[in-house]
Amino acid sequence: MSDLDTFTLLHLRIDPQSKAIGSAGATAAGTTSRTLEAELAALNALHRSLHSLEAPHVVPPPPVPVNPKRSANVTKLRESGNAEYRKQRYGEAIKFYTLGLQMALTRPAWEPSQLVREEVHQLYSNRAQAHMQLAGWAEGAVDAEASVEAKRQGNAKAWLRRGRCLVEMGRLEEARDWVGKGLEVEGQEKELLELLKEVEGRIAQDKASGA
Amino acid sequence: MVDIDWWGLIVPFAYLVVLSGTFMTFSTIYRKRKATQSANLAPWFGPHLQRNIYLSLLHMEPEANGSEKAAAAKTPKVPESVIRAALLRRAVEDIHRIIQIRTAKAACSSLLQRGSVGDDLWQRFQRAEKEMEEELRDVVMEANALAPNWGQIIFQSANEIAANTVLKQRLDEIQAQTEREKEWWEKRRSTIKTESLKKLEDESEKTQGKVGSEDEPVLVDTNTPSATPVSGGGSKKKKGRK
Repeated sequence: MSDLDTFTLLHLRIDPQSKAIGSAGATAAGTTSRTLEAELAALNALHRSLHSLEAPHVVPPPPVPVNPKRSANVTKLRESGNAEYRKQRYGEAIKFYTLGLQMALTRPAWEPSQLVREEVHQLYSNRAQAHMQLAGWAEGAVDAEASVEAKRQGNAKAWLRRGRCLVEMGRLEEARDWVGKGLEVEGQEKELLELLKEVEGRIAQDKASGA
Repeated sequence: MVDIDWWGLIVPFAYLVVLSGTFMTFSTIYRKRKATQSANLAPWFGPHLQRNIYLSLLHMEPEANGSEKAAAAKTPKVPESVIRAALLRRAVEDIHRIIQIRTAKAACSSLLQRGSVGDDLWQRFQRAEKEMEEELRDVVMEANALAPNWGQIIFQSANEIAANTVLKQRLDEIQAQTEREKEWWEKRRSTIKTESLKKLEDESEKTQGKVGSEDEPVLVDTNTPSATPVSGGGSKKKKGRK
């Protein structure tokens, strides 16, 4: 973008039926055409999602007042998951959480990302807990990590759950690092401190028995 | 009357002419060089693909040169919604660039003060900043032309889109590990080390009787794959949930 008054004319064509934009003609290098293809795919996806807007809007409305329907659905799915969990039907609970995650992650992209993080971190964290009940430590660890990624602060449970999963898988060093990081972020959380103590005890024990 | 000695004056005049001539040549050459230098400065960002697409869409028909709205309405081939989507994509890319510029600014200026980077890097940076301002103004104008008052909110939407994309990418990356982690854990569980088995034994106080000798953990573990899970059950129960 060296000049604001000029641009590179790209040879685009439009599919008359689907209105999808594609590139026409041979573009120069393979790499540029690949990035172009990717960008056009993103554009077409965005275009399709713009169609989902309700009638009066032709452009995405401002992010703040959110359409409450989807949030209600996500909450409902999470509640159902929690109910199943309480009945100790963990497989069902995982299914509900997964549905809720799909619902939360397919939210139109222009809606507030903070809201997505808020919903997603709870769902991932709960799903991690359900996996842990089924002894799916690997899945639990991944889900808890995703939960932390969605919300780093004020998410002590997810930090704790991944730590617990790592301990259960015998990845003690990793667990110590993880819990240490969690303590940095969360401050002196009691359960995390306990877990850290436990991990360190086990590492020391390993060393003692190994020596 | 003083008789002017023209021949005597030639020397100072020649001196002046030579002097100013040198100055002028020097200054023109210097300026020319500087101009070419700044013209040849590599742009901060690569080509703005989204902007190119947007403008290409507008220019797809020869008569689409006029005001965007009228042109888009006149040419049925490019529906307005596509143009709006393209403009939104362009705004998203601009958001990415703004973030880059903001994060680079502090680092750049402190490096410049310390003399760690050359002057031309700073020039490139400032030019990128100015170009970004122009670009934003342009997008707002285009947005207002496409839909009433869209210019005020297009960057809010674009900002959320950008943030959401980043979040989704990260989550997808993390979730993509699931299969690998599961495989690893299966393998690990089948060949689990003696010590951890012994510890599990201690902790769970399960009767795993036959593991008296520490040399054959594999046997027990493959026989009772649920041995590991059960051990954690007790300590987990007490944790609360959201």
